[in-house]
Amino acid sequence: MTAILRGRDSANRAMLRDHLDTTALWRTGWRRAGLVIGLLVYIVAPLYLSDFQLTVVDYAGIAAIGAIGLNVLTGYTGQISLGHGFFLGAGAYTAAYVGGELDLPLPLWLATAALAGALVGAVIGPFALRLRGSYLAIITLGLVFIGQHVFENWDSVTGGLNGLAVTAPVELGPVDFAELDVAGHAFTRNGGYFYLIWGLVALVALLVKNLMRSRLGRAFQAVRDRDSAAAVMGVRLARTKVMSFVVSSSLAAVAGALYGSYQRFVNPDEFGLFLSIRYVAMIVIGGVATIYGPVLGALFITAVPHVIDAWSDRIPGVATQPGESGITVFALNQALFGVLIVGFLLFEPRGLAAVWARVKTYFQSWPFSY
Amino acid sequence: MRGTLQRPPRRSNRRGVALLAGLALVVAACGDDDDSGADATAAPAATEAPAATEAPAATEAPAATEAPAATEAPGATEAPAATEAPKELEPGPGFDGSTIKVGVITALSGPAALIGTPLAAGQQVYFDYLNAELGGIAGKYPVEILLEDNLYETATTVQKYGKIKDDVVMFTQIMGTPSISAALPLLAEDNMIAAPASQDAIWVREQNLFPVIEPYQIDVINAMSYYVGDGGGSTADTICAVIQNDVYGEAGLDGLEFAADQLGFEIATVTRYAAGDQDFTAQVTELANTNCDMVFATALPTEFAGILGAAAQRAFEPRWIAQSPAWVDELAGTPLAEYLEAHVWIVALGREWGDPASKDMTEMVDRVATYKPDQSPDYYFTFGYLQAWAAHQLLEAAVADGDLGREGIINAMNGLTALEFGDLSPAYAYGPPEDRDPPRGSTIFAVDRSKPFALGALATNFTTPEAEAYVFPAAD
Amino acid sequence: MNNFLQYCFGGSALGARYALVALGFVVIHRATGVINFAQGSIVALGAYFTFNAHQTWGLPFVVAVGIAVLGAAAVGVLIERFILRRMAGEPVFSVIMLTIGLLFVIDQVVTMVWGQDAQNLGDPWGIDTVTAGEIVMAVEDLWSIGLAFAVVAAFFVFFHYSGTGLAMRAVAIDEEAAMARGISVRRVVAVAWGISGAVAAIAGVTLASGPAALRPSVGLIALAAFPAMILGGLDSPFGAVVGGFIIGITQTLTAGYQPTHASWLGEDFQAVTPYVVMIVILMLRPYGLFGTKEVERL
Repeated sequence: MTAILRGRDSANRAMLRDHLDTTALWRTGWRRAGLVIGLLVYIVAPLYLSDFQLTVVDYAGIAAIGAIGLNVLTGYTGQISLGHGFFLGAGAYTAAYVGGELDLPLPLWLATAALAGALVGAVIGPFALRLRGSYLAIITLGLVFIGQHVFENWDSVTGGLNGLAVTAPVELGPVDFAELDVAGHAFTRNGGYFYLIWGLVALVALLVKNLMRSRLGRAFQAVRDRDSAAAVMGVRLARTKVMSFVVSSSLAAVAGALYGSYQRFVNPDEFGLFLSIRYVAMIVIGGVATIYGPVLGALFITAVPHVIDAWSDRIPGVATQPGESGITVFALNQALFGVLIVGFLLFEPRGLAAVWARVKTYFQSWPFSY
Repeated sequence: MRGTLQRPPRRSNRRGVALLAGLALVVAACGDDDDSGADATAAPAATEAPAATEAPAATEAPAATEAPAATEAPGATEAPAATEAPKELEPGPGFDGSTIKVGVITALSGPAALIGTPLAAGQQVYFDYLNAELGGIAGKYPVEILLEDNLYETATTVQKYGKIKDDVVMFTQIMGTPSISAALPLLAEDNMIAAPASQDAIWVREQNLFPVIEPYQIDVINAMSYYVGDGGGSTADTICAVIQNDVYGEAGLDGLEFAADQLGFEIATVTRYAAGDQDFTAQVTELANTNCDMVFATALPTEFAGILGAAAQRAFEPRWIAQSPAWVDELAGTPLAEYLEAHVWIVALGREWGDPASKDMTEMVDRVATYKPDQSPDYYFTFGYLQAWAAHQLLEAAVADGDLGREGIINAMNGLTALEFGDLSPAYAYGPPEDRDPPRGSTIFAVDRSKPFALGALATNFTTPEAEAYVFPAAD
Repeated sequence: MNNFLQYCFGGSALGARYALVALGFVVIHRATGVINFAQGSIVALGAYFTFNAHQTWGLPFVVAVGIAVLGAAAVGVLIERFILRRMAGEPVFSVIMLTIGLLFVIDQVVTMVWGQDAQNLGDPWGIDTVTAGEIVMAVEDLWSIGLAFAVVAAFFVFFHYSGTGLAMRAVAIDEEAAMARGISVRRVVAVAWGISGAVAAIAGVTLASGPAALRPSVGLIALAAFPAMILGGLDSPFGAVVGGFIIGITQTLTAGYQPTHASWLGEDFQAVTPYVVMIVILMLRPYGLFGTKEVERL
């Protein structure tokens, strides 16, 4: 325990001298200060953000959980997956059924969604064993289409193409996140959800971070780096790869469950290839193989369309009224999405996390920065 | 442990950084949102005084509202109420004392923009006319549209709804059946109403929805009735259907089954396709093998063209009757043109574009020429126009009752006895949701390249006993 | 029986189109090991170039197709030269994502330039048909099948009898050895992308012919062509064609028979049939029917 908050004199803060250093989460004063600031922002944000901004941040938080999950699979274990949208859908429909139909409380439907995701991941995982690289990517592509087909046709559970209203409750003990009232201050639904969602983001980030420091996490990374070498070293490939799918899809299902509960309506259309691509873009732009990279990526990808929308009047060549000449905001967003992916991959393949790391290094090595 | 020294794990505090970065982005997006909020709260004080001095001017207002009363005849409650001084109108969400704002969420990009853009344009032209020539609601409150693009997606609709709901008194258009379904719980929670830009019968009994034209089911029934009557068919014919495999298709099938029941014909086969399909060999082969004399299609333009193309290539020539969304006039410019003219009818709302027999159609076309001359003929434009006209009637009633708040709008809507559209579209009997009675009229068009929008009317705004017999289920 | 043959014909035509798209993928994969997710958008570009040349500029159809082929080939070469080349050595995952990003950009460029509406390509085949016995065959379909075979024949000649083709095969087998023999890998890769673009244009023309069939979503067919490519093996042109036909025919047969005989599989099962077939085959033969097995060196 002391390792977590253990202090070091500043001259040595960047050095790792023993195992306890590698396990400490907030080793330096800066990081602990950052933690405190983060907590403050978490507590205070819904009081200062507008309701619409909260919506954006809430969707971003949900995406962050899903992105962290995908990162486990692709960033840490090196398994390319375009099927993430399907796991999100599985979680959403599970939440709709357990939380909505059966009206069970929040911890139950969230846990059931996670379990459902894990089960689905365990079923899909073995498919990945014989395939790698492009073949794996395309099989997951097939998965997402077959998954959509199932969602569209299993009307009794999913409501089919009509979509499904989701009424999963979000009460945790005495606290109802949808109608949060603390010391007389009544939060909007979006504000209440903010606490739930970002609290879960922190929890998931901590869990995954610890997982990556554990034996299984190191096995994941070994598989990514060179799976034949990992097998030689004693890593059990089949079990590791399947576990990676299990963890990833379980987190995706949690994200999907929150999504369904938040939006109160889900439709099979939403859980298709484009959603999977969005998530891959989040981890690519955010930075693979870091914990906070996907969170940054999620915020970025979720916020950019809204920023464009708010500034659309000021961008030349964009048509804001129907029939006006110029491109639509949607076209601009799609094109920008593509340009961002291409741009990041060409110029900063390690994503926003690497940009941040560079900024930090510059200041840390000042006046010897280069 | 060499590896760790060479690459120290730089795990900086993820949440703090992430939140700060995210907030920076989100705050950048804040801009307009905060501004409009500030305006709404500052305005009321300034507008109270003018509202008081408007009262004497209110006696002039009836003169301005007489003109519309003569041509459009808004709901029966308006005309007498307009001659009294209206009650004090409190500013509130969407109303700052002088301008009334309404929300429109429709598909302005993506493939559905073909339908969404004219829908929105119809509303804009009507409100331009209202503001310029009548001075606005009750002659003094211009109507402004807050337009948002939902890309025909549910999540985007929910987000855009949340973005503008506090800035509008009502939504005069939300497009897309799934989007409307997604928005319904939100509308109920916020006590808000929205006019759905889709013709599904399930909207009829919703308290928070404001439908204005006949549902698809009515169109289908009327079309089948016409076919076995004046259309030259009979109930002994082999009647088939091809439908899109979603809610839209099911609505059409629902109507067809009702018509089969009432008119006494059998549906020989129903074949389905998915939106986005490119190959229709199987569907057309099945229809051809069943030797259908008539096929009813609930489809969208691209797939409809594909189906007809495959049919033409198989030399399969039944009588095709399709619902309005299947048609865009570009189809008449394809090699299919002759096949279309010979075999395809469309059942839709309204009249032939520019029909000289209709005063209101002529007026609408004139207004298009004045306010949006580059608009090409399109019955989605008419749909949007009708929605705006209906909103006009509703808002007049609400203003007359002196309440533009959420409750006031709903009460005004429930208090309307009917929505009138002159001779452009049949009247819609209104009242509380359980009493609403949609119009039962449809129009059958044949494809005719010489006409605007390539559709010439065969039978306009007609109704049939079978359509009259259709009962709209209560909301569940 | 009649139906069955009609479905088979329709399926062959569809399969020919898949094959043309899949060939574009295979050419690039053979030369560079990359799967070009942006292929679908180049297919759309090819179709729209033809439309522009034929309908907007008024050139004869064949000339328009020729221009489109050259134009799409040029686009392919430019993409390779300025974007893909910078990604040499990066992991497969990054390159796949890059091509996906390109897909989005090119798709939007297409809609920005030509709009969303469905257009007519103005092909000379229209809705003409030819009847053979009881089977009605669309001229457009016959041309699709013909073109697919013609392209495969051209490929065969190219890969076996031309210098560049042999060089491409050499590069696919062992890049270093090919370079040691004086083959310019850069040129070979550029040619591969060029050919891929050209084939994409032809695929686009066959897909967009027919009434009001030219619309931006014509590129989506690439998603359905993946199974064809995988099925045949990622680096076998012949496999791509075989795969295309298998997928096309299975799909049409499913569309015809599944609703009546196996409706429990759900509505519109034919849309996912390609993927199901692909998964089944991949489980049995992870490198496709004709693909070369990868040998890993430890």
